[in-house]
Amino acid sequence: MTVIDTRPPVATPPPHAAPATGVLAFLTTTDHKRIGLAYLVTAIAFFLVGGAMAGMMRAQLAAPELDLVGEDTYNQLFTMHGTVMLLLFISPFAIGLANYIVPLQIGARDMAFPRLNALGYWLTLFAGIVMLGGFLTADGAAKFGWYAYANLTDDVRSPGIGGDLWIVGIALLGLSGVMTAVNIVATVSRLRAPGMTFFRMPIFTWNWFVTSLLILMTFPVLTAAGVMLFSDRHLDSHIFDPVGGGYPLLWQHLFWWFGHPEVYILVLPFVGVFTEIFAVVSRRPVFGYKGLVFATIAIGFLSVGVWAHHMFTTGNVLLPFFSGMTMLIAVPTGVKFFNWIGTMWSGHLEFRLPLVWGIGFLLTFLLGGLTGPILAAAPLDFHVSDSYFVVAHFHYVLLGGSMFGVFAAAYYWFPKFTGRMLDERLGWAHFLMTFVGVHLTFGVQHVLGLRGMPRRVVSYLESDGFGALNLVSTIGAFLLAASVVPFLWNMWRSLRRGARAGDNPWDGQTLEWWTSSPPAPENFTAPLPPIRSERPVWDHNHPDARAPGHA
Amino acid sequence: MTRRLQFLLAVTVAVAVLTGCTDAGLPEPVTEQGEQTRDLWRVFVVIAACIGALVYGLIVYVIVRYRRRQGTPDRPPDQRQVIVSLEALYTAIPLAIVGLLLGLSVRTERDVTDLVEDPDLTVHIVGFQWQWQFTYVDEDITVTGTPGETPELVLPIDSTVRFDLESADVVHSFWVPKFLTKMDLIPGVENSIDVRVTEAGTWPGVCSEFCGLEHWRMTFTVRALPAEEFSAWVDEQVDR
Repeated sequence: MTVIDTRPPVATPPPHAAPATGVLAFLTTTDHKRIGLAYLVTAIAFFLVGGAMAGMMRAQLAAPELDLVGEDTYNQLFTMHGTVMLLLFISPFAIGLANYIVPLQIGARDMAFPRLNALGYWLTLFAGIVMLGGFLTADGAAKFGWYAYANLTDDVRSPGIGGDLWIVGIALLGLSGVMTAVNIVATVSRLRAPGMTFFRMPIFTWNWFVTSLLILMTFPVLTAAGVMLFSDRHLDSHIFDPVGGGYPLLWQHLFWWFGHPEVYILVLPFVGVFTEIFAVVSRRPVFGYKGLVFATIAIGFLSVGVWAHHMFTTGNVLLPFFSGMTMLIAVPTGVKFFNWIGTMWSGHLEFRLPLVWGIGFLLTFLLGGLTGPILAAAPLDFHVSDSYFVVAHFHYVLLGGSMFGVFAAAYYWFPKFTGRMLDERLGWAHFLMTFVGVHLTFGVQHVLGLRGMPRRVVSYLESDGFGALNLVSTIGAFLLAASVVPFLWNMWRSLRRGARAGDNPWDGQTLEWWTSSPPAPENFTAPLPPIRSERPVWDHNHPDARAPGHA
Repeated sequence: MTRRLQFLLAVTVAVAVLTGCTDAGLPEPVTEQGEQTRDLWRVFVVIAACIGALVYGLIVYVIVRYRRRQGTPDRPPDQRQVIVSLEALYTAIPLAIVGLLLGLSVRTERDVTDLVEDPDLTVHIVGFQWQWQFTYVDEDITVTGTPGETPELVLPIDSTVRFDLESADVVHSFWVPKFLTKMDLIPGVENSIDVRVTEAGTWPGVCSEFCGLEHWRMTFTVRALPAEEFSAWVDEQVDR
């Protein structure tokens, strides 16, 4: 029988501190759930900022030779849009989910290092404010693109404090990410409840474990590269400056060493979210659970060996190696697709919002996946690299994978966070607008890229013939922008008037559905159920329907 | 006709139709190297389309077939979780497809990046913020773009042309969409590509690596001429 009270101790607030209330409680908290919520709300705020920038860019591109925002502003917009969406929206949202859900799923009371956790959050928030602060300076925010290729970034070609603020922000985000990753690795390694072996961890927790290892391998390099760039700009170190004997391609290697695994860091947590959802709404176990875990580990391994596929056109990388490694990632990713289909096969699929977003994810992410091998093939990449085809590809992956995951997670776990259900009709409106918006905006960009439209151009000529498709893309983007209205309204309204959720509204399988909604400060007030598989709550609630092979 | 033959015919027609509309915006190439890239593109798109059709089909089937409806029993469905042979199958088949695609890709890549011993014409291309300079090395001709006037890259057809690519300041990228290829110009790095243009015509070229404020204005025009017209153009330039 499971023994609950011998779990290893975790940090608890000192007994003499009077519990803070209201805003102060949030400002001083070390509780993983409050920090998690703070991350989630902050991430959504940055999402709105990044989205507003995208809207301005799409307006500028709606017709040939428009002059709505100007070259300088446009360059700031796409630089900050990319940075904000990747590093201040998707990443912090995923980290917020990890904070809230991972300790619950493994039956822990908090993260291993609660104060480090709080520091990580505040660093993220300040990094965001510092970077966006560039817009308030005379020369504006950073304007060298989110991957900041040397030597455009030196102090002669990109003077101004906006670039420095960007570098400071990047370094802080790298540091904050490392703190979170250390914390998650320690939590998962040390604080699992008795019975919760590694191969009984829910897939979301597994994916976050692998994601954390990737962060530990890549974020320190990002921070270091940021420091090197800063020293080039202010201490004349000439690391990336060819005139002083430096090597601009070194930046590309360092940046993409971080930048490509970063894509998996952004996607794997949400792939975990969808895996949980597919199992729960089908009332089935995850099909091929272990195979899925190994597929995630394989993706993690491969992802650190593919960075130079961003550099095929530099003429200075070993093309067959990086082509091959990149194409190989299609194999574990394909395994995941088949496992999701196998999970739903013969299930009783309930068409609630988490599943609806899941289907949107499968349909959209698959298209992003199918264009992947095209980009991995060096000769084809020679044509489409740095064109709108690439823009379309990674937006299909990141919106289809991560953004749909953000919303799926929101509809799936909102009841756990708040004790209230989100409204189904508003949720459907939100989904349909988003789904149509994504495909309108980015579907046509494949064609634009193939025809020869390069990315990062403020405008294009009438004679290029790109006008009609760009207009379609802009209309889609405005639809996407409008889709946040039903989403935010739904959140706002359901917080007060949503139907009561109860502890386990979805017939969930994992331990977060064992506790109350929202959970008590100490997470679990009742003893945990016996943990005999990766879905202890299901086993407890459906003793006759355990998966074959589990005791 | 037997059923099997009918089936084969249907597949052949489907693949042919699919191939016909697979270019999906890919420009009709005007170089020998570009034709090879286009052929590889078609293979990739057809395979991607077949995989996509299979997986999309499975997804739609599962969603429709197994949705909960009236009469779905309240007791949980089948809980089977492991079919090792099936999982091995859908790991092995994609692995084989990847092997095939990689092989084709590497073969085409060798062909399109191949540099001949002795090109018919060498053009030294320098990118700078924010224009291009084309120097015809042996002919001693230099064409330089200005912000107001974009330069013209005049080329002979049916000759192997070497582009030596170099940057005067930051990273740029030389892209002629009709060539279906591009190559970066990186300060301190020497890059070269060969192209063999197969038809006369005029096509746009751009810088495709973001290079600062007026990146989008860094355009040029390629004009390909038959050999004798090209010689006439060279003479005209030298006389000037």
